[in-house]
Amino acid sequence: MIDVLRKNRVQLITLIALGLFFLFASQGMSSKDWVVTMLRGLAVGAITFLVASGFSIILGLMDVLNLAHGALFMVGAYLGWSVYVRPDTFMDLLTPLALVGAGFALSPLWDYWLTQLSLRPALPRTWPWVGLALSLALLGFTLARAPMAAWNPEAYAESPIVWTQAFEQGKLAAMIQPATFDGIPPWAGLAGMIAGGLLLAISLAGFRRARRGEGTLAPPSWGRPLAIFVLLLIAGVGLYLVNDPLTAFLLGLNTTWLFLIAALVATLAGAGLGALMEMTLIRPLYERAIYQIMLTFGLAFIITEMVRSTWGRSGFTMPKPSLFAGTGEGCPATSLGGWLQNHCAIIMVEIGGETARIRTYNEIFVTLVGLVVLIGVWLLLQRTRLGMIIRAGVQDGEMVEALGINVRRVFTLVFALGVGLAALGGVIAAPATGLSISMGASVLLAALIALAIGGLTSYPGAAAGAMLVGLIQQFIIKYGSIGIQLPFMAEPFKPSPTVAPATTVLLMVVILLIMPQGLFGRKE
Amino acid sequence: MTTPSRSDGRAVRPEKRSFIARWLADNGLLTAIVLALALLPFALALINGQSIASLVVNESGSAKFIQGLLIEVYILAVFAISYDLVLGVAGLLSFGHAMFFAVGAYLTGILLKNFGWPLWMTLLAVIGAGVLQALLFGVVLPRVQGITFALVTLGFAAVFDIMIKSRELAAWTGADVGLQGIPRPDLLNPNTQRLRFYFVALAFAVAVYLFYRRFVNSPTGRVCVASRENPDRAKMLGYNIFYFQLAALTIASITAALAGMLNALYKPIVSPEIASLGFTVDGLLMVLIGGIGTLSGAMVGAGVFRLMDFYFAKWFGENASFLIGVIYVAIVLFLPYGIVGTWQRRSISRRKGWRRLLWFTRES
Amino acid sequence: MNNLLEVQDIHTFIGQFHILEGVTVGAPEGGIVALLGRNGAGKTTTLKSILGLTPPSQGRVVFDGQEIQGRASYDIASLGIGYVPEHRAIFRDLSVGENLKIAERRRGDLERKEELIFGLFPDLKRLIKLPGTSLSGGQQQMLAVARALVPDNRLLLIDEPSEGLAPVIIESMMEAIRQLSGDSTILLVEQNFIVASRLAERYVIIEEGRSVKAGLMADLVDDHETIQRYLGAA
Repeated sequence: MIDVLRKNRVQLITLIALGLFFLFASQGMSSKDWVVTMLRGLAVGAITFLVASGFSIILGLMDVLNLAHGALFMVGAYLGWSVYVRPDTFMDLLTPLALVGAGFALSPLWDYWLTQLSLRPALPRTWPWVGLALSLALLGFTLARAPMAAWNPEAYAESPIVWTQAFEQGKLAAMIQPATFDGIPPWAGLAGMIAGGLLLAISLAGFRRARRGEGTLAPPSWGRPLAIFVLLLIAGVGLYLVNDPLTAFLLGLNTTWLFLIAALVATLAGAGLGALMEMTLIRPLYERAIYQIMLTFGLAFIITEMVRSTWGRSGFTMPKPSLFAGTGEGCPATSLGGWLQNHCAIIMVEIGGETARIRTYNEIFVTLVGLVVLIGVWLLLQRTRLGMIIRAGVQDGEMVEALGINVRRVFTLVFALGVGLAALGGVIAAPATGLSISMGASVLLAALIALAIGGLTSYPGAAAGAMLVGLIQQFIIKYGSIGIQLPFMAEPFKPSPTVAPATTVLLMVVILLIMPQGLFGRKE
Repeated sequence: MTTPSRSDGRAVRPEKRSFIARWLADNGLLTAIVLALALLPFALALINGQSIASLVVNESGSAKFIQGLLIEVYILAVFAISYDLVLGVAGLLSFGHAMFFAVGAYLTGILLKNFGWPLWMTLLAVIGAGVLQALLFGVVLPRVQGITFALVTLGFAAVFDIMIKSRELAAWTGADVGLQGIPRPDLLNPNTQRLRFYFVALAFAVAVYLFYRRFVNSPTGRVCVASRENPDRAKMLGYNIFYFQLAALTIASITAALAGMLNALYKPIVSPEIASLGFTVDGLLMVLIGGIGTLSGAMVGAGVFRLMDFYFAKWFGENASFLIGVIYVAIVLFLPYGIVGTWQRRSISRRKGWRRLLWFTRES
Repeated sequence: MNNLLEVQDIHTFIGQFHILEGVTVGAPEGGIVALLGRNGAGKTTTLKSILGLTPPSQGRVVFDGQEIQGRASYDIASLGIGYVPEHRAIFRDLSVGENLKIAERRRGDLERKEELIFGLFPDLKRLIKLPGTSLSGGQQQMLAVARALVPDNRLLLIDEPSEGLAPVIIESMMEAIRQLSGDSTILLVEQNFIVASRLAERYVIIEEGRSVKAGLMADLVDDHETIQRYLGAA
């Protein structure tokens, strides 16, 4: 026991100091303010944790400092908003995605068939370019005419802000047009998408073949690619046929369900994006660490620019799901039961003789999601084979590979998981904080600080660090409004809101200087 | 601008030649580039049909405008080369480099405006501040390495950035708006003495480059490079890398602060942008375009970056930054040694080939 | 001769350093082959090159009739090659049991091998719940060997099993390795010549990245000149 104490004395002293800080904070303000600030801090910590957890696992397993993580968080938020506020856009996107993707489902077959084909030497280099150009032209032609409901950030009347207002006022259904092809018959449009997808996949397989050179491949299994192909075809065409009724159904849906769908779609899209990023961009650079950092930085930049051009520079809000938005009868609630009954946006609680206003979404739901993910990922890490491989790979990836485990595939999976979590964080944060193109950068900074405090690659460290960052930020902001009584100062000092991030940064610097390995990190 | 070829052929050259002639032979390209840049304002004036005299009395026109753009390039080039010294030569992953620059800029502005200091005292203060900053980073250096060092430096810079933009210090820094109304010294007023300013900036950049080259080729600098490539080996050889890294940091910090000072004198507003992480990333991009660890590459990169930034914004409007991002990623993926780095690699292998050939003929 | 493993004249670079400049090793089915040589001669790199952890740039590696050079490490290992690295590489965030479990290639591998493993290393059974870090050096070595036994491996690459161990533990480790050689072929890197000579039937001497001498261990033991020349005083 004493041994444990001695070994971890630095950690203990730091924890005691932090404890004293919160104790001091509880003395400096009324207990109602303290409780509310604590809850807000935990909620901010939960959002930070959703980003930090994936970031830390990716850093630990593959030594990739993914500075695009914040930008992907933002993408999650914007995608979530799009599915939630504009289900018609979402529906319109599904058909092209499924039909173009169908061609790629057959990729293993293309790879094999191309090796069987004997071509004259000049041809293998040229025809993929021709195919690529043709397929892009075909896709460009059909997709431009495909039904695609969207917004226009340039014009205020069609901007996301106006669409959000329409959603809140329930006028959305009236504004939505039926999905029709523009100028070409539907069968031609659908066929164009399928043909374009097939041609694109074949051309890309041609590039792969040209790069690989001569050589044969083992014949792939037929069943699975074909089954996926057919399934995607049916899904694509089917979704087109039921586009309008399904859109109407989604619009009529309770917004809580719609929000769940949005969160799911954004998470999955984020995971897919992460996997794609790892496979195409990160993978060539595993040997060159510093370039990876720069690459992810560049990606963050590009992603932010793409979001800006799609959704516009100015920020907007995302309405809260109905479970957390009630203001009518019986609201604000006075207990959790009252909230569940009336779906109130606010709970009023009596604390120390004052009434505290606690927002059910911002303070309770967000924290809960953070907690669920915390436990879920912990279970994944501790109880599953994948988690075992991740924990082992963080320490020694080479040895894991020497055991016969395909570490590269695990890398892809983990990247997908991490980015998926960040995207989920984005959707969850959006109704509480709104959407803006700077949301990614600020959450990335918070997550970085959280990780540095917690020990870069430690999972419990990520959780503790995120919580600390959230709490300290919220307490400083609170003190900005009520003032803090500093010794030797007559007037209470009121830090301005811009100073709040500086305190967490300072905390990080101090902790790193005392313990370079962070609170929970391991000494190398 | 490239590191001179000091390898072959030198012994063959007659020793009688004067120092200057030898130096010119070794630095032909550098001399040519500097001369071209020095003559550029006059050439531009002639092309536009202005007289040389009008240039000297500072008539506005496109020649003056181009001078302004190039002054910015020179300032950025010094910023980039100082970052390259830290990043590429000393091998320290610092994300706080913008602070080095911004401290110089803000200090100059505040001392000139709020305290009415003369220029030479301000200059000394900026150099002093440069040393202090390097010491601040140096205190941290033995404790944290790699990513942790990057985070700590990022933290320092972020705190500085936040302080600059905070309400509390707005009286001095101008917060979000930036520091305005710095009194221009008559000696070096960019509006009335553009041409003089141009030459000062160019001379400053060239002097910094020559000094850096000297530093990297000195025994100290060589150890710096060695310690980057193999810290354990440098340690085993009995070198204390820390002092070399500290030396590199100090030099980088002072030059970056001086570049910041020049920036404060040149720009009408000291924008808080230059303290942000974004500015560090700009520096990273410049170093990367030119080639990490090549010094001259950083300067070339600064030129390419500034001109690209300017013309892309002119041609593509809002989409410019997206394009720059794409170019950035493309460089990381396809041209990892940058422009100068790639070029040097080619020339080095060619030189190696020559040497091998000579060795072969002598042996047989 | 029909060798299970045939390494033919491989060259390996690490970074720009030419570490292996022509290593040839043959290991017949069953039995133990020892790789001998001074520190830094390239013995460990030879093992890593066979597994593809440091892929050879030239030469051939044939395992069980298939050429395996250039394939991914996990792919090579799945063919039935187990690896016990020099510094054991026990996963410290995993318990002893998980350290074994992770080596499964098919579900249930561990259950089938439990008897063999705990028969060889009874200590591990009572440590099964402890974290990997809490083991002593000898226990870690046992765990590292046990981990290579979990799947059905036909070839075991064992690097320096006696390094840093107490003499008593070396004895039991040798006994374990001897027992294993009945079921699988073992390629052993060993600095301690006495240990190597008592275990192996064959040897290959590696000197500065080249295999310079190979043959039967029985002949080497009496060849004092060779021992003196390549292995230093032994």
